[in-house]
Amino acid sequence: MNIRIPILQAILLVLISILIGIGSNILSSKPLPWFAVELSVVEDVEIKSNEPILAAISIEQAKLFFDDEVLFVDARDEGYFEAGHIKGAMKNIFLYELIFNIEEKQNKDTPLVVYCGDPGCGDSEQLAYDLKDSGFTKLYVFKGGWLEWSKAGYPSEVGK
Amino acid sequence: MKYLLTGPIILFSRVILGGVFIFASLDKISNPEAFATAISNYHVMPFGLENLLALILPWLEFLAGVCIIAGIMVDGAAIMIIIMNMVFIIAISQALARGISIECGCFSVSSASEGDNIGLITVIRDIGYLILAFLVFYRQKYQFEFFPKSI
Repeated sequence: MNIRIPILQAILLVLISILIGIGSNILSSKPLPWFAVELSVVEDVEIKSNEPILAAISIEQAKLFFDDEVLFVDARDEGYFEAGHIKGAMKNIFLYELIFNIEEKQNKDTPLVVYCGDPGCGDSEQLAYDLKDSGFTKLYVFKGGWLEWSKAGYPSEVGK
Repeated sequence: MKYLLTGPIILFSRVILGGVFIFASLDKISNPEAFATAISNYHVMPFGLENLLALILPWLEFLAGVCIIAGIMVDGAAIMIIIMNMVFIIAISQALARGISIECGCFSVSSASEGDNIGLITVIRDIGYLILAFLVFYRQKYQFEFFPKSI
């Protein structure tokens, strides 16, 4: 193998990265699953039950929650929030402040809905897992997010 | 043109690129989970591959950065930086074109409110790095390169 050949050098760099990346994950105290798994969408939501839950919901279910005045949390960046968000949604400034703000309104086993930009964005799921780690037990991820909500013409608002 | 490919600008480019790529890799290496989220926000990875990419890509950035500064396999490092920047430019452009509102995940992935959103400026920045990497790859004078040894 002639290491002077540029493409071989590039391949070598990739191979070393794969080795270190996979190796460090195996040795890590908090390893990442090798493949990302998506939350499954639940159809019938039993809002009264006390079972802890972290699940995805459809736009129809999200609208029902909205009408029931369930708290919505916008997981997107501030700029996007200010440009438009679900009416009454809480802004995600940073996690501890958000938790503080939520707990001022409701306790940790009251349902809340997290959403982000569009059906594939991961911020809402990420935030939901963070909130779960912080002790919240009834978490719903509205996968359709701002895109589906605004398309459907449901109540929304702009600004801070 | 010849001056561009022989002068101190090559060394300058190597230091800039190396610094940028090492800096960009550190937060991702310590936070693969957050970086996986940042990748999945772009909607370009199939089959849940974002996790594997989130584990490997930061190390590739780090290694390429170290190599291009330290003069180790500079050609290979330049190729990888060119490829990575092309991928970044495509990923960001398609997200912009589709109107997806996301954070860049370019340098910092740990905070949710970093304000590092993607935009035209992100693309232009990456094109700048791409040009520097091409200069390094097509350099005609080999300075401060230790493996393989400069001829």
